[in-house]
Amino acid sequence: MRVRFKITTGLLVSIRADLGRSHPFAYERVGFVLAAAARSASGVLVLAQEHHPVADEDYLPDPSVGAMIGPEAIRRAMEWALMKKVCVFHVHSHGGRGIPRFSEVDVRESAKFVPDFLKVAPQMIHGSIVLSEDAAVGRFWVFGNRGPADVNEFVEIGDSMRKWGPS
Amino acid sequence: MKRFDRQSFLGSDSDEVLDGATVGLVGLGGGGSHHGQQLTYVGVGGFVLVDPDRIDLTNTNRLIGGTQADVDADLAKIEIAARLIRGINPGSRVKELKSDWRLVLDDLKACDVILGAVDSFRDRDQLERFARRFMIPYIDVGMDVLELPDSQFLISGQVILSMPGGPCLRCCNFITDERLEREAEQYGAAGGRPQVLWPNGVLASTAVGIVVELLTPWHRAHLRLIYMEYDGNRRTVSPSHWMTALEHRECPHYQPAEMGDPDFDVRRLVGPVLPATRAATFKVGA
Repeated sequence: MRVRFKITTGLLVSIRADLGRSHPFAYERVGFVLAAAARSASGVLVLAQEHHPVADEDYLPDPSVGAMIGPEAIRRAMEWALMKKVCVFHVHSHGGRGIPRFSEVDVRESAKFVPDFLKVAPQMIHGSIVLSEDAAVGRFWVFGNRGPADVNEFVEIGDSMRKWGPS
Repeated sequence: MKRFDRQSFLGSDSDEVLDGATVGLVGLGGGGSHHGQQLTYVGVGGFVLVDPDRIDLTNTNRLIGGTQADVDADLAKIEIAARLIRGINPGSRVKELKSDWRLVLDDLKACDVILGAVDSFRDRDQLERFARRFMIPYIDVGMDVLELPDSQFLISGQVILSMPGGPCLRCCNFITDERLEREAEQYGAAGGRPQVLWPNGVLASTAVGIVVELLTPWHRAHLRLIYMEYDGNRRTVSPSHWMTALEHRECPHYQPAEMGDPDFDVRRLVGPVLPATRAATFKVGA
């Protein structure tokens, strides 16, 4: 199954700006992108709709990682998946340029909570995205805890259209 | 020498970008037939061709690639367009769909851009709504010949780029409920509307330029809304005042919450899910 993740430049810019804000104690910020999905002749389209930053008070102090979020943030994201019937993608940024890669911490931590979204919205796909200043990389899970698999292609739509896939 | 040497200013990777793009062409009559030809010359590699009609004698005043032999053979317009495209680029990826576009939605959803060369406002409205739902830039192209007093005529036309998140055809008053109602009242009574070759060529070239700008921009373009008005009597193509008027406006007609398939369920689709690339060791974002 090929997955194409589409997002407007406007939404990407606002996500990057939000993730770039400092936090009282966390080294980095994280958030959730909610997205619609569609079937197409070339696979599944994930269509980013909105971004929800994790609230300041939902970060937990943990100097061993860039950001640790607490159960309330996860609960809220699960609620969106359930009530809005959307795909939920955890998002954070590594900065820099070019196609980023998931760190070992990213891989380990996202595998702990992203599949939980499938318990409340098994009809959708859920995942995790890492941004750089000009690209992104993503992975997703589907029902039956199948995954993670790579998002095959990102499409940014703004003043121009940019497409890229995993390096 | 390479095929695209003379357009290298489009960017070092423009050949790959254009070849990798798939453009949906809805309507392959007089206007749409230019689109396939020009986009193939420019280097676009993928096409989804959609039109339910066959060529007839009245098309031979303007349908690019169409011949009397095609009329005699009762060829579908998509067959003529596909032949033209493959003649220019034998390696092109062409999907031929002799159908109403509403019946081939999954194929259109996979397109990077859709160009609509359809006759009715109802089709334009529905096609744009569809494109918005799946975050596909939509370019509407059309022309008309209006009768003026004293047996004179005005040739007019438009090319409008409707971008996801930007102002839409309703925002710039091109689609209105009144227009749709008036069209519905006249349904079936219109007969063959006047169509001629040269406005189609001007409008198609304008639209093709916008597609290239979108895929591989050669300057800092601002493509939130493009609305070009053609005046065939003055021989001009000019930016509509709506482009300025709507520059900073949000579109109230299409909301992100309306995107996607409302009944989407991956459990009905899923095949093998390829495992993710194993993460390499590198700086921990943490």
